[in-house]
Amino acid sequence: MSHESTVEEVLATVREDPSYLNHWSAYKKIQRMGVDLPDDPTRRLRLAVIGSATLEPLAACTDVKARLEGLVVATFVGGFNTYRQEVLDDNSGLYGFEPDVVVLAVDVWSLLDKTFIPDFVRMGHDERVQAQERAVAELLDTARRLEERTSALVLVNNFIVPTFTPLGVVDNKQEMGLREFVRGANRRMEEGVRDSSRMFVVDVDSVASSLGKERAVNWNTYYRGSVPFSEEFSLRLAAEYVRYIRALKGRAKKCIVVDLDNTLWGGIVGEDGLDGIRLGTTSPGVEYVEFQRALLSLYNRGVILAVNSKNNFDDAIRVLREHPYQVLREEHFAALRINWQSKVQNLIELANEINIGLDSMVFIDDNPHEREQVRQALPEVMVVDLPSNPRLYRQTIEALDVFDVLSLTKEDMRRGEMYVGKRKRAELERTAGSLEDFLRGLGLRVTVREATDFDMPRVVQLIGKTNQFNLTTRRYTDAQVREMSDSGDVAVYCMAVSDRFGDEGIVGVAIVRKGAEEWVVDSFLMSCRVIGRSVETAFLAKIVADARKGGAKRLVGEFIPSKKNAPASDFYSKHGFEGPVEQDGVRVWTLDLTERTVDVPEWVELVEE
Amino acid sequence: MSVDERLSEIVAKVLLLDGDQLKDDIRRKDYEPWDAMAHLVLISEVENEFGVTFEDEEVVEIWTVGDLRAALARKLRG
Repeated sequence: MSHESTVEEVLATVREDPSYLNHWSAYKKIQRMGVDLPDDPTRRLRLAVIGSATLEPLAACTDVKARLEGLVVATFVGGFNTYRQEVLDDNSGLYGFEPDVVVLAVDVWSLLDKTFIPDFVRMGHDERVQAQERAVAELLDTARRLEERTSALVLVNNFIVPTFTPLGVVDNKQEMGLREFVRGANRRMEEGVRDSSRMFVVDVDSVASSLGKERAVNWNTYYRGSVPFSEEFSLRLAAEYVRYIRALKGRAKKCIVVDLDNTLWGGIVGEDGLDGIRLGTTSPGVEYVEFQRALLSLYNRGVILAVNSKNNFDDAIRVLREHPYQVLREEHFAALRINWQSKVQNLIELANEINIGLDSMVFIDDNPHEREQVRQALPEVMVVDLPSNPRLYRQTIEALDVFDVLSLTKEDMRRGEMYVGKRKRAELERTAGSLEDFLRGLGLRVTVREATDFDMPRVVQLIGKTNQFNLTTRRYTDAQVREMSDSGDVAVYCMAVSDRFGDEGIVGVAIVRKGAEEWVVDSFLMSCRVIGRSVETAFLAKIVADARKGGAKRLVGEFIPSKKNAPASDFYSKHGFEGPVEQDGVRVWTLDLTERTVDVPEWVELVEE
Repeated sequence: MSVDERLSEIVAKVLLLDGDQLKDDIRRKDYEPWDAMAHLVLISEVENEFGVTFEDEEVVEIWTVGDLRAALARKLRG
């Protein structure tokens, strides 16, 4: 037994050759070294894998793959088919482990009679429907209990739709053939967890299809040790779980940085000219158009795009602006570096300009030397091995599984546009004579309304994650916010901002307690995306006006200092509030509404709804 | 790599041994990392690597690294 090797050395062998054997060996070695979890919850993972089979191999692959993402992992593996007891018993090892991710891997056939498939052929339709309902209800009950009893993300495997059916080619001539039985069960599961923010159905069927379902099972290990999944399928499935883990731990990528020549189009624009590059409706050229469309689909989903190219700026920008078949235009890119300096330097500058970490970036370049330089100099940047055949570009980008988020709000989807707006605003700021000229030039529109059910997910998201411009940093849960919003004496406001460069969506929240004489601003927060545009003044002005309309004499504002909210500490003093009076760590400011007011800045159009 | 080297690599990785620690007389019952799960993985990896299939009786009769080597040799001879 070797004791000298460190976890990093063990993982290096997996990085070099990510075989199943190396995953398994690494897992076992690391388990023997003992696992010491760091305090920082974003750096550690407590993974539980439970279900109807022997799951240690799948757990091992997931554990090691999560470690390759930089996490320190403790793994709990449930016993063979003991998941019901583990979930029902409040004192079980599973609950003692306090997982933050639980994989629930239950085979559909384990929920049905042993003779289900032979019996199925002669079952009536109603009987089939009942069996389907029962199986799904049982699994969903288990998943829901996990959601209630833990704070974990619950990943429920869906069922693999069988390729075999005793009904043969007429399987789908019946209202519910065997394949439809399983497909329908999968749909029911998806519906069952759709409204939950912590339960997810993992599309195991799709992962199996992409590998080939015949290759997803190892019948030798299945019969010998109840290990149903083949070695290569265990690796694939583990990678699928890691997508959720990355999103949960804030390790998903946010930005794709692309090269131009021979990446976005074929040829070199500086040599071949605008009409000589390969980009069009037929091959060669259509490969690049489709590659760009794949990038556009990610942009529309909220992935930020940027350019890093060695080129004459004027040559390259002309393609982006004028080429008839170019899909991605200048306005799709949050930042551009088209120059002759090193791509490493450009990447550092892009990260600064866009204000994201290098570890959120993915670099795509056809030139292996450039890729190697970036890999060496900036190991935190993910470098994609673009194949030399451009016909494989599209497939390569579609196979990238590093951009996942666990929920998609409208604001998330528009992130790409927002960063482009930011770039254009920065340009205006550079050319405007004064700050006021700049603000006037923006054409700011601020919409304030009491939050509706439709706004609630974004409102809760902002309450949960806003740190800098957050006056009290009170983190309320979804249920708490809804309760306040439904009660008559609290107003939950949200603010949406747009200007001529784009729509930021909902970026501000205020929670105001409405008394007869006195209204108290319990929470006031704003995304750092819109800091510096005086929209907070317009937001406050609306609250002041409402308070006065409601008959209040005073508006009270609270400030609770945190490690990060210093930028907002002078908010109330800047707006004419008196104070502060210190009460139990809370600084209390007061605006006398009979004497003072807060006006909407004249360059802001306030829309009240 | 020869058959022996390929087999040794699998055994070393599953049983968590360094190259020089790998001996033919390492015995399942006396060596703690060689538990039932490790045995299953070991047999399956050998099957996958060499394209052979072991019968259940053969699997239980593999008690040492040397037994595994001999069982594989028999399979490969056909």
